Amino acid sequence: MQQQLTNLSDKELISRARKQNDREAEGVLMDRYSHLLVAVTIPHLKNNANLDPNIVFPSLLQRLSASLKTQTIYKVNEWILHIQKGYLGTPEKNTPFYPSRDGRDLLHIENTVDKAATNIIDRQDLIVRLEQALQRLNAEDNHIITQFYLENKSFADLSAATGLTRERLRSQLKAAKGKLAKLFMNQGYVK
Amino acid sequence: MLSSKPNNDRVLKIFSAIRCLNRDQLPRYLDGRLTDVEKHLVEQHLTDCDLCYDALQALEKEENPENYQDLTNKLQRYVHNSIQPVSHVQKVAQYTRKEKNKEHMLTYFWVIAFIGLGIGGIYVLRGHMRNQPPVRVMAAGIPARDSARSEAVVTAPVVMPDNSHPEPAVLPASHKEVPTAAKPIAAATTPKPDSIAIKKAAALKALQRKAEADSIRKHTLLQKQQDSLKKVAADKAREKEEEKKPDPKPEVKAAPKEDKPAPPPETPRKEAPATAVNSDEYLYKAAMVYQQQGNLSEAIDRYKRIESVSSGKYVEMARYQLAICYRSKGQMGKARRMFKEVVRMDGSMKNAAQQALDSM
Repeated sequence: MQQQLTNLSDKELISRARKQNDREAEGVLMDRYSHLLVAVTIPHLKNNANLDPNIVFPSLLQRLSASLKTQTIYKVNEWILHIQKGYLGTPEKNTPFYPSRDGRDLLHIENTVDKAATNIIDRQDLIVRLEQALQRLNAEDNHIITQFYLENKSFADLSAATGLTRERLRSQLKAAKGKLAKLFMNQGYVK
Repeated sequence: MLSSKPNNDRVLKIFSAIRCLNRDQLPRYLDGRLTDVEKHLVEQHLTDCDLCYDALQALEKEENPENYQDLTNKLQRYVHNSIQPVSHVQKVAQYTRKEKNKEHMLTYFWVIAFIGLGIGGIYVLRGHMRNQPPVRVMAAGIPARDSARSEAVVTAPVVMPDNSHPEPAVLPASHKEVPTAAKPIAAATTPKPDSIAIKKAAALKALQRKAEADSIRKHTLLQKQQDSLKKVAADKAREKEEEKKPDPKPEVKAAPKEDKPAPPPETPRKEAPATAVNSDEYLYKAAMVYQQQGNLSEAIDRYKRIESVSSGKYVEMARYQLAICYRSKGQMGKARRMFKEVVRMDGSMKNAAQQALDSM
């Protein structure tokens, strides 16, 4: 059972945990993201001596499990980070997780791209529209996206070329991608 | 164009979803032990995913990676441990619930089955109880089952008054032989369809009504006689009859007045035997009525009285009717004896009695 469940996608596991009250699916999902959760939480544990990992992680998992049943989860990584930050920032307050508009736009485009993978006509249409959106993007963003995605340049190469730090580079790439997504979506509405 | 084709496909790469870094990708990326393609994919994902990027940054700052490994192992073990008992407990609970449900269903089934059986049993028992009394009656009524006999029982009384009624109108002594000899044979021989039987029954009823209307007085007299007869023995009854004979005379005088239009002028001497015959006739008719009403024991009493009191053809007829009554009561020995007596008397009823004897 465990073996079969590990092959399922996050979405599938969430729906199983919700509809069938499947604790195993929930556990597999937690297991899948446990190392990231640990890695993200380590600095907090280090900085705050009061936090005991034997208490923090079980209660974090409990909170995740509780919100899994009730919340709309588009992307598990965003949701986990939100819960973790909420728990460590204000442990007594349980702030619900709302995915951002940009996040939903991105997810929508990702889904359409995923669907177009098996449909040649859709894919051609999508490629044309994406290139149109890319043309509309300003030169700087267009350049960085082309370099990173189309030329397969790594962070190290780009930071060497532009002289930006990795963090700045990442945030710039993220912003450019966001703009592209917005342009693409608006194009879709205009059309 | 050819060179732009792969370029075109790569555009889609910008928005392709990539999974988060798994447990061994993360340290390998940190160590730079990934292939170029893998590294590029990881970096693409890192641009989007805050969780992975934060984790990466945290691990880069971390001095001792053993801590991370240790905590991760602990957490995974914790997750596994917390899932499995729960899921095991859940499965056991589900199984026990199923079994319980099955048991419940079984108990419900048996309870319903027993209730159904009980109700069915009661129903059948009630039906049986309801049907039993008729069975007994049937058993008792078996002797009368023969349709020929029952017809004879019914028809014989029907026939007899027919013979006897016109007699007071015509001369009683001379007229006796011919119709009584002929009619019982006809009664016995000719098969009677229902319509004839009904007609005769209607005629009989009409006669009875006439008789009642004609002689209310005589009926009261008869009743008096009967009452007194019940009280006293047969011998005394005879004496009383003799005593009463003077009494009915004035009444009888009234009776002939009523009957006058029918009979031809009669001599005063003949009045006495006529009244005797008349009283016999009415006794006989009353007994007949009892017999037809099904009050056989009363009828038998009456016939016995007629047999002991009166004389002539009424004795014979009373005996014959007595025999029929006994037969329909199921007392075959008595009935046979009576029929034999009737045959021995060698009267008008001889043939009918012989036939009845033969058919018994």
